[in-house]
Amino acid sequence: MRFETHQLAQHYPLLFEGLRITLTICALSLAFGIVIGLVACFGKLRERGIAYRIAVIYIDFFRTIPEVVLIFWVYSCLPLMLSLRISAEASGVIALTLFASAYLAEIFRAGILAVPRGQIEAALALGVPSLHIWIRVILQPAIRRMMPALVSFLTELIKATSLLSAIGVAEMAYQASVLGSKTFAYVEFLSAIGVLYFIIIFPLSIYARRAERRLVSRTAN
Amino acid sequence: MTEGRGKRGQTVVRCVEVTKRFGSFEALRKVSVEVRAGEVVCIIGPSGGGKSTFLRTLNGLESIEEGEIHVLDVRLPAGKREIERLRREVGMVFQSFNLFLHMSVRANLTLAPTTALGLSKAEANERAKRLLTRVGIEEQIDKYPGQLSGGQQQRVAIARALAMEPKIMLFDEPTSSLDPEMVNEVLDVIRGLAESGMTMLVVTHEMGFAREVADRVLFITDGQILVDAPPAEFFGRPTDERQAAFLSKIL
Ligand SMILES: Nc1ncnc2c1ncn2[C@@H]1O[C@H](COP(=O)(O)OP(=O)(O)O)[C@@H](O)[C@H]1O
Ligand SMILES: [Mg+2]
Repeated sequence: MRFETHQLAQHYPLLFEGLRITLTICALSLAFGIVIGLVACFGKLRERGIAYRIAVIYIDFFRTIPEVVLIFWVYSCLPLMLSLRISAEASGVIALTLFASAYLAEIFRAGILAVPRGQIEAALALGVPSLHIWIRVILQPAIRRMMPALVSFLTELIKATSLLSAIGVAEMAYQASVLGSKTFAYVEFLSAIGVLYFIIIFPLSIYARRAERRLVSRTAN
Repeated sequence: MTEGRGKRGQTVVRCVEVTKRFGSFEALRKVSVEVRAGEVVCIIGPSGGGKSTFLRTLNGLESIEEGEIHVLDVRLPAGKREIERLRREVGMVFQSFNLFLHMSVRANLTLAPTTALGLSKAEANERAKRLLTRVGIEEQIDKYPGQLSGGQQQRVAIARALAMEPKIMLFDEPTSSLDPEMVNEVLDVIRGLAESGMTMLVVTHEMGFAREVADRVLFITDGQILVDAPPAEFFGRPTDERQAAFLSKIL
């Protein structure tokens, strides 16, 4: 077979349009996921009470069910339950937000719990106001510590957006398969997006791996 | 030597029948004691006896179930704001230093003065330099705690507490996690503070230090203060069976 580069040359704008949608959906679900993830994280940090229980159930539930099921459920069942119309794109953002918030909550919680109790006590003993304890003593090192986990979750989220092609969201994987079936140049288009995903995700993985190694070596000495 | 200092001022710490429980376990049992301004009180006793818990009730790091504690002009138990105000006047140094590892030495020393006292960056910085000179490590100001030896870290921790210009200092086994060759550099700093007239409560296993520096020595075990005596008496004529047993083991 021949690798028909002219097909790519002709249709690449659609692939980039798909990429734009992929990145937009990622950014939105990451942003909403961070907000809801923080709420769930602080709920779970309470360790008792109603907010704690809701947070635990929420986090466990959305970390357990497969993303594809979540996506189909939001797309097909949620509109029936709420009797309103939800576009495929909005369904995708909602499903991935549920997915992201549950994982992010656990990443945030691990980062906050890793701050040594003694440092918080030292700040309390100095009379540092609680807001400043939160910002300077807890969150600042916690964010640094959770960066590797955050970035490697981001790579998972980018990959998960490709599942949205199943409900017809015109993201990058969807564009490639539609173009493939229209032109029969499956190999060209699917290889092209493979390379694009790689170019986006691989540097992030490298960053996460390096940052993780730096953390380990810093805490070792 | 104990009376020779002639520095007994007004009462700055007064505990009245203080009881502290963890669940049903009584870590402090009806503890009553007073400390006057300028006094150096060393606290000794077996591990698990309640020494740390006692110290931590004085700045509200542990709440109390019964009794009351007067520290300076604050009466504990108290609300969050009162406790925060109290903590600005009571410094604490921990066995494990508890420095902020992600901050430079300078930032460790300026965080509390800038956020709790409202000092400007420049003022806090001046104060930090002055205190680091006082504890003998001014050249380490831009290093991170992880780059310092244990003895240096504990001196930074002392300077950090002093940066709030506290009226009372609490030390919880400040030399117990140090390598032997670093114990003296830290004890020297604490000795210097004692000579400057600082009111101090020091939990320690350094008997020579207690004998030399303390005005009074408390023996705490099973959540009670069993002995409260000047060092000569405390080490010379033990009055309590458990105190005698403890001393014979440690001396
Ligand atoms: N946070 C806590 N929860 C439960 N028990 C505690 C806690 N802190 C201290 N204790 C208990 O209180 C007792 C006194 O501890 P502590 O004050 O640390 O003793 P010391 O400093 O004299 O070694 C010990 O039996 C210890 O196990
Ligand atoms: Mg202790």
